[in-house]
Amino acid sequence: MSARKADRIATFVFTLLGFISIGILLFIILEVLGRGLLTAINPKFFLGKPEAMNPGGGILPMIVSSLYLAVLTLIVALPISVGAAIYMAEFARKGRLVSSIRFSLDSLATLPSIVFGLFGMTLFVVYFRWGMALMAGAFTLALLNLPILLRSTEEAIKLVPQTYREASMSLGASRWTTIRQIVIPSAMPGIITATILPIGRIMGESAAIVLTVGTFIRNIPVNPFSMGAPLAGYIWFAQSEGLTPDYRKIVNGGAAFLLLLVLVVYFLARYAGRKYQEKKLMGARDGK
Amino acid sequence: MRESLARSLIKGDKEAYMKLLLLACASLSILGILLIFLFITRESIPAFVHIGFKNMFLSAHWSPITGHFGMVGFIVGTLFTTVIAIVISAPLGIGTALYIDQIAPEWLRTPVRRGVELLAGIPSIVIGWFGLITLVPIVARITNTSGYGILTASLVLVVMALPTITTLSAETLKSIPQELKEGSAAMGATRWQTMYRVMLPAAREGLMVATILGMGRAIGETMAVQMVIGGARQLTVNPFQPTSTLTTRILTEMGEATGDWRSALFAMALVLLLLSMILIISIRLVSRQRRVAA
Repeated sequence: MSARKADRIATFVFTLLGFISIGILLFIILEVLGRGLLTAINPKFFLGKPEAMNPGGGILPMIVSSLYLAVLTLIVALPISVGAAIYMAEFARKGRLVSSIRFSLDSLATLPSIVFGLFGMTLFVVYFRWGMALMAGAFTLALLNLPILLRSTEEAIKLVPQTYREASMSLGASRWTTIRQIVIPSAMPGIITATILPIGRIMGESAAIVLTVGTFIRNIPVNPFSMGAPLAGYIWFAQSEGLTPDYRKIVNGGAAFLLLLVLVVYFLARYAGRKYQEKKLMGARDGK
Repeated sequence: MRESLARSLIKGDKEAYMKLLLLACASLSILGILLIFLFITRESIPAFVHIGFKNMFLSAHWSPITGHFGMVGFIVGTLFTTVIAIVISAPLGIGTALYIDQIAPEWLRTPVRRGVELLAGIPSIVIGWFGLITLVPIVARITNTSGYGILTASLVLVVMALPTITTLSAETLKSIPQELKEGSAAMGATRWQTMYRVMLPAAREGLMVATILGMGRAIGETMAVQMVIGGARQLTVNPFQPTSTLTTRILTEMGEATGDWRSALFAMALVLLLLSMILIISIRLVSRQRRVAA
């Protein structure tokens, strides 16, 4: 076989593989939206109350639970992850402590989410006696998302040019003042982008949720220490229990709605990221 | 004079205090992983004491009502689905990464990369539902079985592992010095020769890490697998037979389990923890090998 022929075959094969990967994505999105979009965008469905046994139930409390959970998780996780990221980016020196922190983060990033669910269940739900609660899920998911939040925040902080720090410190500002007044504000757009992406992950998470937050509620949750039923967990519950006669329709609609939510979050994060980059480019041109 | 000294001391104190606080935030990750280990181990101790190591890890007889808690079937289920999934998704993912890096026209590169990223963001419950309503009937028709089982679960896991493998592989390929790629082309190598002889060897460790992390996703996936694997409590290596994995068994039975049964489920979680640790340590070994070689 000539080298050129082999090259042509390889080009064909890799093009095919690339197209298969994108084909999988499109196939899933079209299938799920095709089956559920009409249900999902019906106000009676996404603004309706769920039914335990009867047909015609909606998913409003579940949508609220998902959003509520995302907000709570970020409230718990952000101060910690930003603080940790500042330390890792600005202060960390090579050593045993820093490498154990990195090892722990890698471990947290690889652990199955169901293990987080079991942990959250034993610690927050049982040991702290919170019961199944949005807050229990928020703490569990904060730990689950800590590695990804920390890494992207750390990268955003490291992108701040070293000259900013030097300029600030040469004016007599202390290390801490420099971080607070110069580094964090400059890194803020990056930190915001880094924060939006995990929202999709939080809303899509289900295994850790069904063990810590709950799978079915009828009313919109208000108290963070009350039970919730995030959409992803409810879809699983509706599908596996099949208690209502129209559960297939609910699952189809719920899955489509969840997919739309996640897509919106994804493109929002991308948009924020692009805006940030544009601003940075313009800043560079103006010599800022 | 004295006052300013005192003030700088207080200021210095504040700096040290802030640094300590930030360090505490960073150290929370260590605390977190230790607590997870501690609680999962603590909850699984009764199982080791009452049921015994042998009855759990050398038996495939799982029947909580009669007090049998052999989990070999589920460990095999986890490993088997993962292996099939990786055998498919590693070539597919690395191939897609090569396509993005080398073959795709400029205007198509970013959309393909973003598409793969997006695939990573699709909730596992949605992929599971897709598997249930789309893949199960297809597999059922082709193989003339129920459609639930190891093969369908593996196909779902391909979707879960693919974005991880592709994204990390693409990053590795991108980090290969441009001179290396151009040098090879300048010597008269075709694109395929450059990819095969220069890029793949240069990226070997990175591609291995990508594949291992893809395995991590596959081992830990719960919802999507649970919806298509059939949920049978049996040891089987027939890809068309329903069975369970560690994660799906924990999910299905945690709600009703009490006593030793519940504890046995935590012992399964401990196995999952150990599997994750093995993956992480093998990643460290692979990366260290690279450093030594370089």
